[in-house]
Amino acid sequence: MYTYDKNQLQSKLADYIGARVPADAWQWLQEKATLVTKDSKQFHIAFAAASRKLGKQAVVLTAEEQTGLQQIRKQLTVTGWAIDRLCRVWLLLQLNSEDEDNYVQTIERLFPAAEMNELVALYSALPLLAYPQRWRARCAEGIRNNIADVLEAIMCDNPYPSEQLDEAAWNQLVLKAIFTEKPLQKVIGLIERSNETLANSLTDYAHERWAAHRKVLPLLWQCVGRFINAHNFADIQRIALSTDAREREAAALACQQSTYAPAQELLKTNTLLQQLVNRGITWQEIAEKLQRNS
Amino acid sequence: MCCNDDLTERDLEPRVEIPLYLENIKGMKFFDPHVHMTSRTTDDYQAMADAGVVALIEPAFWLGQPRTGVATFQDYYSSLIGWERFRSSQFGIKHYCTIGLNSREANNVALAEQVMEILPLFIYKEGVVGVGEIGFDDQTPAEERFYREQLLLAKEASLPVQIHTPHRDKKKGTQRSMDIAIDCGLAPGMVIVDHNNEETVEEVLDRGFWAAFTIYPFTKMGNERMVEVVKKYGAERIMINSAADWGISDPLAVPKTAALMKQHGISDEMIQLVTYKNAITAFAQSGQLNESDFNTVQPIDQSQKFQGNTILRGGQQPRVNKDSLIIK
Repeated sequence: MYTYDKNQLQSKLADYIGARVPADAWQWLQEKATLVTKDSKQFHIAFAAASRKLGKQAVVLTAEEQTGLQQIRKQLTVTGWAIDRLCRVWLLLQLNSEDEDNYVQTIERLFPAAEMNELVALYSALPLLAYPQRWRARCAEGIRNNIADVLEAIMCDNPYPSEQLDEAAWNQLVLKAIFTEKPLQKVIGLIERSNETLANSLTDYAHERWAAHRKVLPLLWQCVGRFINAHNFADIQRIALSTDAREREAAALACQQSTYAPAQELLKTNTLLQQLVNRGITWQEIAEKLQRNS
Repeated sequence: MCCNDDLTERDLEPRVEIPLYLENIKGMKFFDPHVHMTSRTTDDYQAMADAGVVALIEPAFWLGQPRTGVATFQDYYSSLIGWERFRSSQFGIKHYCTIGLNSREANNVALAEQVMEILPLFIYKEGVVGVGEIGFDDQTPAEERFYREQLLLAKEASLPVQIHTPHRDKKKGTQRSMDIAIDCGLAPGMVIVDHNNEETVEEVLDRGFWAAFTIYPFTKMGNERMVEVVKKYGAERIMINSAADWGISDPLAVPKTAALMKQHGISDEMIQLVTYKNAITAFAQSGQLNESDFNTVQPIDQSQKFQGNTILRGGQQPRVNKDSLIIK
C-alpha cells in the first residue's frame, strides 16, 4: 500500500521533530500519535490543533538529514516547511491504513473543513500516503484552488503529481503554475512529463500574451522543445531573434531538446545560440537569472 | 515573475494622493475587530491598507438571505479561514475570524442543529479568535437556545465571545445577553458586547464586559457621537469597528473616527486603545492572535525585494491607477 518504507520514514521524521520542538509539545504530539490510530475524532482535533501546540518555525535540515529522507522516499523535500506542517504530515503517517476505504475516508474528511495551512500540509503529504492512486482526483481538485501557498504545496518540490496525475490533470498543473507565476524549476518531472498537447496549449498561450503585448516566461519553452514542429517552429525562430537574452537562451535549449530538423539546423547556423549551448547553459541557470532580475 | 515585469517598486507603494483626514493619522496603525470582508471589494482592501488598517477580524454572520443547507455554512466557514484570509494577505492585512451561528438563522431550528454539529470542527482552527457573532435578533426561544449552546462551546474551547446585540429592543436585549453569558459561566472579560450606543454602554462597562461600538451610517453609531462617548467614558475596555458588510457602510470607519477623535483633542494614547490595542487585548485571550504577526513594518526596499521576492511579495497585488482611462 505504501511505495516506500513507511516505518523507516516515520521514525526518522520523529527523530527530526523531537530534536526541534520543546519537550512538552513533543510529548503532546506523541500522545496524540498513539490515539489517532484508535479514534478518528482525536485525529481531527490533533490535526487542527497542531499549530497551536507546535508553532511555525521553519524546519532546516542538514544536507545529511535531507539525503537521509530522500534515500527512503525519493525527491522528498521538507526543508523550509513550518514545523506544524511537518508534524501534521507525520500525524497522517500514524493512521492505520489496513482498511483502505476507511483510511481514505478519514483523510478525505479533512479537506472540506481545512484552513489554509492545513491544506498545505495535506497536499504536501500526498507523496507519502498509502494507496497513491486513490489521491489522483483530490490532487487534480487541489490544482483548482486559488490560494498561492496551497498551489505551491502541490506544484513545487512535490513528487506526487508527476508520478500519479493523468495527462490532462498534469497539463492543468503546468499551465496554472505558469499562469500563477510559481517557480517552474521546482516542478518535479516538468520536462519528463511534457507532451504534445501541453506544448500546443503553451504555444497558444504565448500567442495570446504576445497579442496583448505581454511578456512570455522563457522557462515555458522547456516543455515545448521536444515537440517543436512545423506548426510552432516560427515561435522558436521568434524567440531566437529576441532582444531579451533569456529568450535567446531558451531558444537555444529548446532547439537542443528537439529532433525536428529545422530546429537543429537553426542551432547549427545561428552562432549565438550555438555559443550558448557550447557554454553549457541550463534551464536552471535561466531560472536563476530571471529570479535575480525580477 | 513573467507577468509582472512592468511592475516597479512604485506600483506597490501606497498612492500619494490621500484624502485630507489621513494626514491627521499618518503613521497610526488600526485594528478593525468587526468587518465582513467577504462582502467587500479589493478597492476596500487597498483603501484600508492605505489608511493604516493592519489587521482585522471577520465575524461569521448571515449573508443577507437565509441559507438552506448545512453545506453552505461549511463552505462559508471554510472561506473565512481560507480564501478570504489569503485575499486579505495580498493587501498586507492580517485576517482573523470568529466562527458561530448568527441569531437570525438560529430560528431555523432543524438547520441550526446541524450547524452546531460542525462548529467544533472550525473553532479550534488556527486564527479563529472567538465564537461570534452570536446573540439575539428577534429574541426568540430558539435564539436563546443556540446562543447558550455556543456560549458553552466557547467556554470549553477557552475562546472569547463576540456578541451581536439586537437592533430592536436593544437595551433589554443587551442586558439579557449579558445575564445569560454570566449564567453560562463566562467571565465578563471574555465577552465582547458589540453594537453599543449611549443607552447601553454604561451597564456593559460597569459589569466588566468589553464594549464595542460599530460606526455605521444611519442605523448604528455616527463617529461624532463616538467622540462624545470616549470623552465621557474614557478608553478602558472600549473599542470601535466598522462592521462594514453588504449594506451602505464604511470600511474606513475606524481610521476616520481616529482622525475625528484627534481633531477633537483626544490623546493619541486613548485613540490607540480604542482603535487598536483594546481589541487586540480582548481577542488575544484566544491564544490565536499575536501582535507580532502584523505590527512589524515591512519596509519596501531593494534589498528585501532582491532576497526574497517570491516569499515576501509573491502574493502581493500590483497597484492600479484608478484615475487612468487606460486599463492594461
